[in-house]
Amino acid sequence: MHDSGEVHIPIGPQHPSLKEPESFLITLRGEKITAVNIKIGYNHRGIEKACEERTYIQDMYLIERICGICSHSHSTCFVQAVEEIAGLQVPPRALYIRTLVAELERVHSHLLWLGVAGHEVGFDTLLMYAWRDREVVMNLLASLTGNRVNYAINTIGGVRRDVSANTLEEAASAADILEERTKYYIGIVTTETTLINRLSGVGKLSPQDALRLGAVGPTARASGIARDVRADDPYAAYAELKFKVVTDNSCDVYGRTVVRLKELLESISLIRQVIKNLPDGPIAVKAPRRIPAGEAVSRYEAPRGEDLHYVRANATDKPDRVKFRPPTLANVQAVAHMLQDRYLADLPIVVAAIDPCFSCTDRLLSLDRGGQIEKTVLTWEQLRQSSIEHYQREGIDFSALNKKLADKM
Amino acid sequence: MGVITRVINWARVKSPWVLHFNTGACNACDIEIIASLTPCFDLERFGVVLKATPRHADILLCSGPVTRQIESRLKMIYEQMLEPKFVVAVGTCACSGGVFKGCYNVKAGIDKVLPVAAYIPGCPVSPKALIDGLVKLLNSLEENKKREEVPCPLKKI
Amino acid sequence: MSAEENIKQALENTFDYLKGAVIIKRERRMALEVPAGNFAEILKFAVLELNFSFLSAITGLDNGDGFEVIYHLNKDGGVILNLKIRIPRSGAHIETVTPLFASADAYERELMDLLGIEVKGLAEGRRYPLPDEWPLGDYPLRKDWKGNLSANNEVKNA
Repeated sequence: MHDSGEVHIPIGPQHPSLKEPESFLITLRGEKITAVNIKIGYNHRGIEKACEERTYIQDMYLIERICGICSHSHSTCFVQAVEEIAGLQVPPRALYIRTLVAELERVHSHLLWLGVAGHEVGFDTLLMYAWRDREVVMNLLASLTGNRVNYAINTIGGVRRDVSANTLEEAASAADILEERTKYYIGIVTTETTLINRLSGVGKLSPQDALRLGAVGPTARASGIARDVRADDPYAAYAELKFKVVTDNSCDVYGRTVVRLKELLESISLIRQVIKNLPDGPIAVKAPRRIPAGEAVSRYEAPRGEDLHYVRANATDKPDRVKFRPPTLANVQAVAHMLQDRYLADLPIVVAAIDPCFSCTDRLLSLDRGGQIEKTVLTWEQLRQSSIEHYQREGIDFSALNKKLADKM
Repeated sequence: MGVITRVINWARVKSPWVLHFNTGACNACDIEIIASLTPCFDLERFGVVLKATPRHADILLCSGPVTRQIESRLKMIYEQMLEPKFVVAVGTCACSGGVFKGCYNVKAGIDKVLPVAAYIPGCPVSPKALIDGLVKLLNSLEENKKREEVPCPLKKI
Repeated sequence: MSAEENIKQALENTFDYLKGAVIIKRERRMALEVPAGNFAEILKFAVLELNFSFLSAITGLDNGDGFEVIYHLNKDGGVILNLKIRIPRSGAHIETVTPLFASADAYERELMDLLGIEVKGLAEGRRYPLPDEWPLGDYPLRKDWKGNLSANNEVKNA
């Protein structure tokens, strides 16, 4: 491990654009990565244990905050498991409202990701555009649920708030705007050669490896794995709605970008279907305070991939066990493989391309030169900058594209 | 207070350099902080610039309830900042632990670890509340500057 | 016959001791408890013959008497098979399944850190998810762990 010429780089917590801590111990030979060791757990808060000490309703609020980007995903996944154990028949209107919020969440998450990916490669105008457009969704979610994030729309047995005709009209207009913007982004991603060259061939993951390493969501679908919980194991209103499972065969970061953009179009179509077909009726059934003994597994297709919750009830008002396996935990294990034999300059976008949802890291560069070890603090920003400069030397430069798009803003 | 200190304070108030650090949060506040810098909210018009290294920052924007793993890194970052420096607890978790108070791996609040100058609650904090809180902090630095006092950590806003 | 019925029949026909043990809870949800000693052969059969090509998660829990470890396997078509084993509390250990599913690495480390179940055969690696300084012997998800760290550590949940 300590050959002369090998450099070990621990890349740790505190990173402006990922906003999450993880720690990568990288071994380099020259500029190529020979080994990656990933340490996660910086935002382990002890939520599963806390769930056993709180009631089901309190747990909903806690579980919503496992992740602020897919809070509805976790909340719905949990509530579905509890409803299954209790044998509750959730009214159709509630299922449709859950689906509406779910797809809006997917839209905001994918637009967020688009901006972050742009930032990682130096295409900052994309960040500004994507996050500006994302505000359309944030405002709509605030109208619909009362909050921009952490919607608290679910209750056990249904949803807590109904949607008005006005809000549905707002949603329909938002869908039109978002569709136009998404098509614009698809245009950029499919025609701008700078971006295509930057993202293609990077972070390769073969279909066999995607399965073996347990990848989920757009990361797996970009390797041709046609798995999507909405289609395989339908929940909420998905069994009654039409949509395509988007896949791509590029097996790389470019593929993951294309998949997410096309998924945006599918989400917009789903939102329109929900608005059109929203059934009448109650928005919740009464749930017992004590959930009868039993267990259930619930799955949900979060923006990042399959989210799985397991709940065991013991006839009290508190669960006996709540386990959640968020999608990023499944995907992060594939990252080490994707970085093998790649340049250090690829690290930021490869990591960002799994759309990681854990908390941030800081970076320490540990140089091993024939036995002498020096430590320097290398931030993610410095790594990102040097990655951008590396590719500029290869002829991939976003300055012109940034300017071209900014002039139109 | 000498001329140099007045100049430094003026520069600090007019253009605070901000470092953002997530101490184990769910990300919602972090996203809203970044959203504050994008066109719809545009924190930069107040002269706020997001920096990436502690040595360049005046204000440390902290989100999250402080998990055990992150605590020593949080302190290290704070130590690397040059005086005067101000810590802002962004979001309910950073203020008091929020929903995570009582969880075994969480210290429940930035002020358990560092002196906090301003608390901006919210779950998550909205960009408007963040801007409001930062402007209040900057105005009170301005006030202190006028009163020719050395800036010091403020009480809860 | 439904996919679930096919799976049930294949399992019960191949392994006599499983007769009547395979439960179909509803569509796409099956449960099977197996003796710990037979787990390896059932897992191999499920993965290689029945095409449960994906391990979604591993749940470990403390039921008061001992531990249960549930492997949530899934396959095309969305069927989940919850394969469960029970292990005694004292000397709790399991064999790693990482040769079949590389992704089990993180899930098994969780069992080690949070429940104190030894996972034999797992490669050297950093612990997950607890901090490096967390004392050995403190397993938060055990029912008897009430939040007070042992020995020289501060009391939590004050």
